[in-house]
Amino acid sequence: MERLKGIGVSGGLAVGPALVAIQRTQVIRFPVAPRRVGRELAALEQACGRSREQLRQIRDRIAQLKGKDLAAIFDAQLLLLDDPLLVGRAAAIIRDERVNAEWAVQRALDEVAEVFNDLADPYLRERKGDLQDVAGRLRLNLRGEKGGARDLLRDLDAPCVLVADELVPSVVAQLDWDLIRGFATDAGSRTYHTAILARSLGVAAVVGLRDISGRVPPGASVLIDGDTGEVVIDPEPALCREAETRGRLARAQQPQPQPAQAPARTHDGVAVSLHANIERSDDVAAALGSGAEGIGLYRSEFLLAGAPPDVAGEDEQYEEYRQVAEQMAPRPVTIRTFDVDERQLAHPLVDAALDARWFPQGERPGRAGLRGIRFGLAHPPIFKTQLRALLRAAAHGSLRILFPFVSSVQDVRGAKTLLAEARAELAARGVCYGTAAVGVMVEIPSAAFTASTLAREADFFTIGTNDLIQYTLAVDRTDERVSDRYEPLHPAVLRLIRQVRRGAVRCGIPVSVCGEMASDPVLLPLLVGCGLTEFSMTPGALPMARRVIEDTRAADMARIAARVLTLGTVDEIEQYLLDTFGRYTVYDGAHS
Amino acid sequence: MTSRAVVVANELGLHARAAARFVQLATRFQSQIRVGRDTKMMDGKSILGILLLAAAQGTTLTITADGPDEEPAIEALVRLVEAGFAEPTDALGRGESWNV
Repeated sequence: MERLKGIGVSGGLAVGPALVAIQRTQVIRFPVAPRRVGRELAALEQACGRSREQLRQIRDRIAQLKGKDLAAIFDAQLLLLDDPLLVGRAAAIIRDERVNAEWAVQRALDEVAEVFNDLADPYLRERKGDLQDVAGRLRLNLRGEKGGARDLLRDLDAPCVLVADELVPSVVAQLDWDLIRGFATDAGSRTYHTAILARSLGVAAVVGLRDISGRVPPGASVLIDGDTGEVVIDPEPALCREAETRGRLARAQQPQPQPAQAPARTHDGVAVSLHANIERSDDVAAALGSGAEGIGLYRSEFLLAGAPPDVAGEDEQYEEYRQVAEQMAPRPVTIRTFDVDERQLAHPLVDAALDARWFPQGERPGRAGLRGIRFGLAHPPIFKTQLRALLRAAAHGSLRILFPFVSSVQDVRGAKTLLAEARAELAARGVCYGTAAVGVMVEIPSAAFTASTLAREADFFTIGTNDLIQYTLAVDRTDERVSDRYEPLHPAVLRLIRQVRRGAVRCGIPVSVCGEMASDPVLLPLLVGCGLTEFSMTPGALPMARRVIEDTRAADMARIAARVLTLGTVDEIEQYLLDTFGRYTVYDGAHS
Repeated sequence: MTSRAVVVANELGLHARAAARFVQLATRFQSQIRVGRDTKMMDGKSILGILLLAAAQGTTLTITADGPDEEPAIEALVRLVEAGFAEPTDALGRGESWNV
């Protein structure tokens, strides 16, 4: 028995076998139970097969379009994919260390990359890029496979407690909190936010334990006392029994989640639409299963699977979009045109030689460079191919086209001109096409500031909070030295979001929010308080969002949001929310 | 088990394209194939392993095969290395991408 002392942020007692999750950049490290090892190995093999299939397709298309020389890059990547030092090593890591496949691939890559760095030959060192590409593709495909880290975290079969280095709200929203009875984290920062989260979930929580995620072996019995801030590893049986009894009493008072049938309504009757973000047509089933009323964001660049955008043909794209539109009909489907350089979403480009083919001056794509609508406007043939495919698919359902990375009215007009040309080309060919609403992704501050003029050019707005926060606060989230300044609750962010909504409302166009903010159980009610009623998020987060919405009183949240907008710092806002939520008990349905 | 030493003949050494040819040939045989340089020993069916040997022109490699077809495997692989991976010995093509 070992006792640790941290900061109790959410009261209650919880005891159970520990689930240990360690977040590292975007890969979740997840020690798996011995009986799950086989499943992780199978997931790795499936991802490998899928990657092989994609690489072969890209190679064949590139050979056809651009010649054999460039296609050879993919032959080499195919060899790397089958290399025992990469996938073979990852499989060994899964077996020996019993970790999830995604983490194992990252580890295997790190090992080989390190040796590559030591090579004297610069030509060989450059091959590291191919290696990273192959590993990146594997990881991307692993996420789509059953048995991937996210599925495992969701797919629990017995009550447990979660021990983590930190808990990111977007991950929190996807966990099964009926089975996770409490959590303990190393991190002590963002205490308020974590406290609000834990209380809203009704689970015991202790933070600031420094190294608990490294000390607790997966599966070990852990007791979390959120009132005293104490965590006990391997507690005595008597202590466990007491905790189990007290925990059961506390849980019995919790409301049961409602089946996701009718559209969500707040406790005081405001209708809220919940939509899903997806990446490919295969995801439609998951979206419908989670009760999505539509697809709020389809990230079309995943269709490219790492190939340059001119490789995706019109017919091939049309097939994919049509499938999504048909399966979702009559529900709306919003497809975002290629945002190829958005690194956190899209796969990195395969090779400098290929880049040069579509970045004329050999420029590397930058975060604030030629991406989104800018890329589309600079490459009309590629952009119009996609627009034609979208217009054709629009005949099969309710399809909306969303332009990413818009910074001015000029961008929208330029894009609409090309859309008109695409329509005329289809008409000239005598091909059947439909009508589609045209929307603007508001994710650059200049677009947010001019929302009222942009709204006259668009049929709808989608606020992309991840980028809007980054560009408003001038914070590069990938830079560890400043990433803690990425703060959704910054007063500037909330004011901008409110301004965008006002611009939309004035012109009578709908506005939705996608991005991590929408799936954060703490921020979602606040956005409702700002008057937003349409949200889109990863399908796994939808059931929790529905629960949060149904326990929220929009009228109370409007008052709270108005007050929040007068506060000066993030700390003040979080402290205020914590106090207020304690008083209003916004989430637990205690109003009735 | 059969083992043979061979000197890397081509000017560019065992670079990416050569390594790819070697691996493609090696994987046609059932035998386990190892390639050694000094104290390093690598899997002959791993392109990463071969690349990591960083064998320049003039390096002596030891190729070992173990399995039912070890004789023909060694024969074919040694011939490939001795033939300079069937490529011109000038520096042409070095700036190109992988060419398999």
